Amino acid sequence: MLADLGTATLAAGLLCATLAALLWLRVALVGAPARPARLATTGGLLSAVAACAVLETALLRHDFGVRFVAENGGRQVPVFYTVTSLWSALDGSLLLWLLVLGGYAALLARRAYPTRLHAYTMVLVSAVAAFFFVLSHVAANPFRAVHPAPLDGPGPNPLLQQHPAMGVHPPLLYAGYLGLVVPFALALAAPLAGREGRDWLRLARPWTLAAWSALTAGIGLGAWWSYAVLGWGGYWAWDPVENASLLPWLTATAFLHTTLGRPARRAGWNRALACASFLLVLLGTFLTRSGAVASVHAFTDSPLGPMLLGLVLLAVLASAVLAGRGPRRPAPGRADPLLSRGTAVLVNGVLLATIAAAVLIGTVFPLLAEPLTGSRASVGPGYYQRTAVPLAIVLLLLMGVPPALRVRDRAEALRRLALPGAAALATMAVVGLLSRPGLPALTAFGAAAFVLAGAAGQVTGRRGGAARPVRWASVLAHAGLALVAVGVAGSSAYSQSGERSLRIGETLRAGDASVRLLSVERSAGGGDMAVRARLRLVEADGRERNVAPALRYHPARDTAVTVPVIDTGLRRDTYVTLLAVAADGGSATLRLAVNPLVSLLWCGGALITGGGLLALAGGAARRGRRAKAGTSAVPVGAGVPA
Amino acid sequence: MRWRRVLGALVLVALLAGAGTALVRSTGPAGRPDPVEAVAASLRCPACQGESVVDSRSPIAASMRQVVADQVAQGRSPDEIRRWFVQRYGEEVLADPPARGVFLLLWAVPVLVLLGVGYAAVRTARSRGGPATCPPAAAGPAGSGPPGRTARRAWWAASLGLVATMASVAVAARQLDRPAPAAPADPVAVAVRLAQDLEQQQRYAAAAQMYGEALRDRPDDALRLRLAFALLRSGDAAGAERTSRDVLTRSPDSPDGLLVLGLAQRGTRPADAPGTLRQFLAVAPEHPAAVEIRRLLAGAPPTVGGTPTPRPAGATG
Amino acid sequence: MSRSGIPRPWWRRPPVAAALTLALAVGAALALRPTSDPATGDAASGPAPALAGTTLDGGRFDLADARGQVVLVNVFASWCGPCRDELPLLAEAERRWSDRGVRLVGLDVRDGPEAVRALLKETGTTGLVVLPDPDGTRSVDWGVRGVPETFVVDRQGRIVARQRGVVTARWLEQQVTPLLGAA
Repeated sequence: MLADLGTATLAAGLLCATLAALLWLRVALVGAPARPARLATTGGLLSAVAACAVLETALLRHDFGVRFVAENGGRQVPVFYTVTSLWSALDGSLLLWLLVLGGYAALLARRAYPTRLHAYTMVLVSAVAAFFFVLSHVAANPFRAVHPAPLDGPGPNPLLQQHPAMGVHPPLLYAGYLGLVVPFALALAAPLAGREGRDWLRLARPWTLAAWSALTAGIGLGAWWSYAVLGWGGYWAWDPVENASLLPWLTATAFLHTTLGRPARRAGWNRALACASFLLVLLGTFLTRSGAVASVHAFTDSPLGPMLLGLVLLAVLASAVLAGRGPRRPAPGRADPLLSRGTAVLVNGVLLATIAAAVLIGTVFPLLAEPLTGSRASVGPGYYQRTAVPLAIVLLLLMGVPPALRVRDRAEALRRLALPGAAALATMAVVGLLSRPGLPALTAFGAAAFVLAGAAGQVTGRRGGAARPVRWASVLAHAGLALVAVGVAGSSAYSQSGERSLRIGETLRAGDASVRLLSVERSAGGGDMAVRARLRLVEADGRERNVAPALRYHPARDTAVTVPVIDTGLRRDTYVTLLAVAADGGSATLRLAVNPLVSLLWCGGALITGGGLLALAGGAARRGRRAKAGTSAVPVGAGVPA
Repeated sequence: MRWRRVLGALVLVALLAGAGTALVRSTGPAGRPDPVEAVAASLRCPACQGESVVDSRSPIAASMRQVVADQVAQGRSPDEIRRWFVQRYGEEVLADPPARGVFLLLWAVPVLVLLGVGYAAVRTARSRGGPATCPPAAAGPAGSGPPGRTARRAWWAASLGLVATMASVAVAARQLDRPAPAAPADPVAVAVRLAQDLEQQQRYAAAAQMYGEALRDRPDDALRLRLAFALLRSGDAAGAERTSRDVLTRSPDSPDGLLVLGLAQRGTRPADAPGTLRQFLAVAPEHPAAVEIRRLLAGAPPTVGGTPTPRPAGATG
Repeated sequence: MSRSGIPRPWWRRPPVAAALTLALAVGAALALRPTSDPATGDAASGPAPALAGTTLDGGRFDLADARGQVVLVNVFASWCGPCRDELPLLAEAERRWSDRGVRLVGLDVRDGPEAVRALLKETGTTGLVVLPDPDGTRSVDWGVRGVPETFVVDRQGRIVARQRGVVTARWLEQQVTPLLGAA
């Protein structure tokens, strides 16, 4: 019964979203009242809510007659992971996707934007929603009935049952991805809406900031999950799923910067970046959801792949046609001074676009190469370390320049850069003479010191009256990124690890830390079998404690999961993984690693997200003040001055 | 003032010297002090997905690490070792793809994007921030005039387009979805597959039964020959003879039919067998089983356990 | 640079220009594609690498001495389940074709002698000539990607076929029978 109900909610959603698109189109073209269209949009959201609720109910009630529950539910699974298993597999996560998209559409529908711009934007958002509803209904319907219903299911993938981050990482990531549909739709609606369209950039900025903050947090949580669960001690492997989240982040970051200052002169950039961000979201969805990257042949196994590819192509076509109708480039004339915010924003855009291009071609390359060469060539981390990483270090260095851009006088500007520059050189000298972290790490340390010293100067200097929240936000986000860079460089350059098979009583060392194997224990129950190694861990600072990393085998999915023990500290993490156990229980293979500065990654990620939220709040407060004052001051992000 | 300047310059020189020395120190091969690890990191584990030989825990990667260590100990250069592996595993074994052929795309695309976007940036930076030209307002149905017939037409066209897109997506999804469940639906194919598996497990009687079931649904001489062969191997020479004769009545010169009949006759009426087998050799002297049959006719003992093992060629496809 | 509002020709629009450049780049990359076959390292044909050493039961095996014979080289290990399943089939093939000059040699990867003996006993293939390869370096010399893997070496000492994964009776039939006549 739940199966039929679920399918019905999807059908209702499809109907509502299609209707919404048509009604909003009427509003835009013939000036019909917006109320029915708004109702249809709300209907779409309610359908998505109902679909999610039905599937959650089926999961919690262990209704194995529903296909998704039969494939991903399990009686042994704890309640928390039963709830999160909604997004542990493709078909269910599409419902969460619809829920978030419906939420954005409903929020956007309630705004009082210029009528035609608003209506065209809603047409595009509704059309995207309708597309995903139809996809969910016909191609990946989680509600298909199963006859006969099995008595129990395998539960979600064991890797997704290990960490509470599973509860927030996917929803945040989706909030980030789908938030980018708003700037995309606004950018494409602007040329259709004629005169009203000039305002689109000012309207798009808060949505982009919100989406970008969510995306940042989502990526950070994903890295944390990978570090804490996968047991290999790393947090970023340049795999297609990770790259798919990084790509829109890069272009959205560039977009947030090109909308600063006098964005009118960068009209083409703004349109292109707003479109590119959501197109990359769609492309990433296609790449990761169709199985196309794993193998070209997996792509046609389900109708989802060709459908998503069709959507990507359609969206690219729409963007090319509509964005091409925008205003022409301003006539050439006097050049910007070299040290100006305008130049900095453009250089930033160039670098981010190039990084995105490298990551994109690296991700899709296997797809292109397989039909051309016949062999499966995949692109490893080495490629990204030689392309994206050097560019990122240059970008980091340039992030230290903004303090100098706030003054006109060139001598004063240079003076402002003197102290950060000295700090950078000193850092490089000290770090490079005391240790040998390698060239990329050393330059990253120097660049990070440059940025952090500049940020500190801005915090303590406090010149020119009350600082604007946007400036604080940028200081916060840039400092956060510098911390992330220090964390990445430090953990990759100074990590020490050891791995070998130990008999009971033997000791394994890595750096100043060591573990001694006390015993090996087996246990079974709760749907899995576990082996645990009891260890005495002596950390680098001399603290001792007992730890027990485990190896869990899930028969239902025939997968073994390593459960590492991570002792988190501000300066270093101690990371112990159990890799294998001898049949007689007399020895175990262990990996011990000391990863310095990893905690900076998480702090930095939080700071960047905080910066985004602060900019959002600051912008809202300023808009509120302006609305109260009743003035129509020059908008920050005016699209095209008349 | 001058002292401050001199002091500043001194500090700057000291810092530059320190940082420069640090950089020079870092360019050395200190990053990966172990050449074995460096070479292993540049090789891709052939049994894994996207893991290098140095990171992978698969046994073959462990062996490859050992080979690298051995060759490094023999004093071979990293390039020589990598070439050795490429000879055996192909270029996919290199973690960093070589910069030629299709792999040039990996470098060409970022460079082209850098050039293209950089050019756009230079043009934007050189431009005056002055007023830009607006798109002609009447360029489409979005004209600012009152809603008219054009707008209504545009609405109808757009809504038809949207609905048609949704409908075609739904139809296409069904179309694409179909082949998967349709494939195993042919009971004959399933029965033949099962029978082949049984044959491979040398359960010939069960395989013959399976072939019999498949034959009931699809009377086909190729299947009949398989059945005859399975019967022969299961020891039912009489059944094999009957079935192969059945085939031979329709196509008297079928080499496989003659082969099975001849082999079966060795059990049922040994006198006729050599004649049939000679006939087989006359019809198909190049048959894969011909050599074995010649030996058999020459009087050599059968190779395995009394049951001749050559398979009919038609029954292998 | 268009100084006034004169529309640029369509091919000078940035997106179009970028797409054209990309298409040209792809075309150029395709044209520059090395024409040599991509399967150079896959050694489905070519001289077999050397394979010699002390066997599990203390004897001596050298592939060079087996010139004139068809040799099946089966890479296996006791810790590999599929290997266990295919061993009897290979042993049976050797028995069947032994007087036609077919030999079977097992290359035992990263394994202990006790475990292999137990496996041979279990699968009823105790007579098998087994070359131990405790550190797996011989297998790497043969370009092995995983176990099981089986090579067919013809009478001239060339690898004529290789099978990644489990062999089937049909595969053996197809690969070995054509070599039998050329004794």
